[in-house]
Amino acid sequence: MTTRTARPARIRAATTRALPTALGSQAFLLLLALAFLAPVAWALISAFKPATQIISDPLGLDLTALTLDNYRRMFADVPIGQGFLNTAVVLVAKGAITIFFAPLAAYAFAKYRFPGRDLLFGMVLITLMLPTIVLIIPLLLEMKALGWVNTYQALVLPGAVDAFAIFWMRQVIADVPDELLDAARVDGAGEFGIFTRIVLPVIRPALAGLAVLTVMNIYNDFVWPVVVASSERMATLQVVLSTLAQNITGNRIGADYATVTGELLAAASIALVPLLLVFVALQRHFINGILAGSVKG
Amino acid sequence: MSVLVAAERSRGHGAGRSVLRPWLPRKVAPYLFVLPFVAMFVAFSVYPMLFTLRLSFTDWRGSGAAQWVGWDNYAYLLGNEMFWGSLGNSAMLWLMIVPVQVVVGLLVAVLLNNAKLRMRSFYRIAFLVPFVTPLVAVAQIWVVVFDQNYGAVNGLLNLVGLPDVGWLTTSEFAKPTLALLFLWKTTGFIVIILLSGLQSIDASVYEAASIDGASRSRQLRSITVPLARRTLMFSVVLQTLAVFQMFAEPFVVTDGGPYNSTTTAGLHLYEHITRGDLGTGAANSFLLVIVVMGLSLVFVRLLRTED
Repeated sequence: MTTRTARPARIRAATTRALPTALGSQAFLLLLALAFLAPVAWALISAFKPATQIISDPLGLDLTALTLDNYRRMFADVPIGQGFLNTAVVLVAKGAITIFFAPLAAYAFAKYRFPGRDLLFGMVLITLMLPTIVLIIPLLLEMKALGWVNTYQALVLPGAVDAFAIFWMRQVIADVPDELLDAARVDGAGEFGIFTRIVLPVIRPALAGLAVLTVMNIYNDFVWPVVVASSERMATLQVVLSTLAQNITGNRIGADYATVTGELLAAASIALVPLLLVFVALQRHFINGILAGSVKG
Repeated sequence: MSVLVAAERSRGHGAGRSVLRPWLPRKVAPYLFVLPFVAMFVAFSVYPMLFTLRLSFTDWRGSGAAQWVGWDNYAYLLGNEMFWGSLGNSAMLWLMIVPVQVVVGLLVAVLLNNAKLRMRSFYRIAFLVPFVTPLVAVAQIWVVVFDQNYGAVNGLLNLVGLPDVGWLTTSEFAKPTLALLFLWKTTGFIVIILLSGLQSIDASVYEAASIDGASRSRQLRSITVPLARRTLMFSVVLQTLAVFQMFAEPFVVTDGGPYNSTTTAGLHLYEHITRGDLGTGAANSFLLVIVVMGLSLVFVRLLRTED
């Protein structure tokens, strides 16, 4: 970053004076960071405690009593395997559509002049501002009319070509030099070939960011799946999870609070670990993705 | 690198092809490229939007013929206590969330923007962990941790001699507990956004200010906040949209209770659907859009005219 070698004496004096504040900010950040991590860490650990201990002694940890019972019961109780499978199918199909078709449309918006372009891009901007919840009722009715309720199509297609993705990719592709595209054209590359062989490779870093963000959004998506595909066979991971939570808030008759809590923490842990691993592994892409996507807003 | 390779490769067999007409004329290409987007957009956005608009003027329970009722649904909602109550709940949550988030977010972003800070990447990961974890999972953790009788939070309070608090079971505490969940979940994201705004400020501005003897807090007030205003505005608008559409958090954690104290505008809208009263639900959608867009415009205006 910036090189700060020969600094004037006055600034160095100011830095020494700033030492207590530096300690203070470290302490502040550390406490806050621990508070941010604590609930997740607590859940991951507690899921291995006997169910009765989770509620009788939520803060204690008896290492000799650790058990897999909560996981065993949870697997027996809810179709979490099916939930993972459904989420995986949606993730692959919807993710592929977004990551290919959003940059394709963005390429047309960024690098071609054609009648109707501004009107179409205006639609992208309007979609960005509309609360998604507005579309839920009519979309559900549309799915019913098409016979798509509780199908993969309903989970995959609506929202697959995301307006935010187009908006973001257009910014990125606009920065690709025209000379590069023209050179390829002179060399006989077709319009589509320019996209696949020039544009996509050049914007690869942003594409990686888009991919991570898209995976996260699809994996965590809850509102649309719970509305359109809540049958046991089609429920995605998040929908399966929510049924467990409602057993507690909805006071399932006869449900033993400790047992349900144990199952719930096991399910929550197993749902958040894959994404957490992906996030830590691809942290840089992810943060750059958010940064690149948000500044332009 | 790969660009050069790609260009090289296309040069190889391009010589013969360039004299032929390309299979995809340049004038047609952009239309083909936007076609998938437009098709899906019309099918899954434009059509449902127009449908909702029409639906909002009818009485329809999901089957049979819809009956045209004019402005009745809107009039009903505007005179309905539950509707205003849900907006009020969302407004209260907004007050508990957005100002706190902007202040804490900016503070953390400013601290993280210091290149010499130790453990910088650890902090960035730590603050983003709640953001990347699935909402349903963390909402469930909230239910367990804030349980009145068995929760870890009350366990901590008891340790220091304080009595149990009904975090999710009393109407005074349910809203702040929900706000805390939202803050915890999304503040990391806001930090990253604000950080991007700070990083666009040239470091030389600060150097000049410290040579002139401006204190850190003075720099924050006179340089950082004004120059990062665009990003601040962006995050306020973003969070306003998110708070007024908040649905999954109360749906999982409190189911709107106790005594509807956490029935947010988004959750109330959903209740029309579950009751099968689709016409009223559609009208409620549009009223919510008007509220959200209006608020966004107000914030954009407020934060812009100060220039």
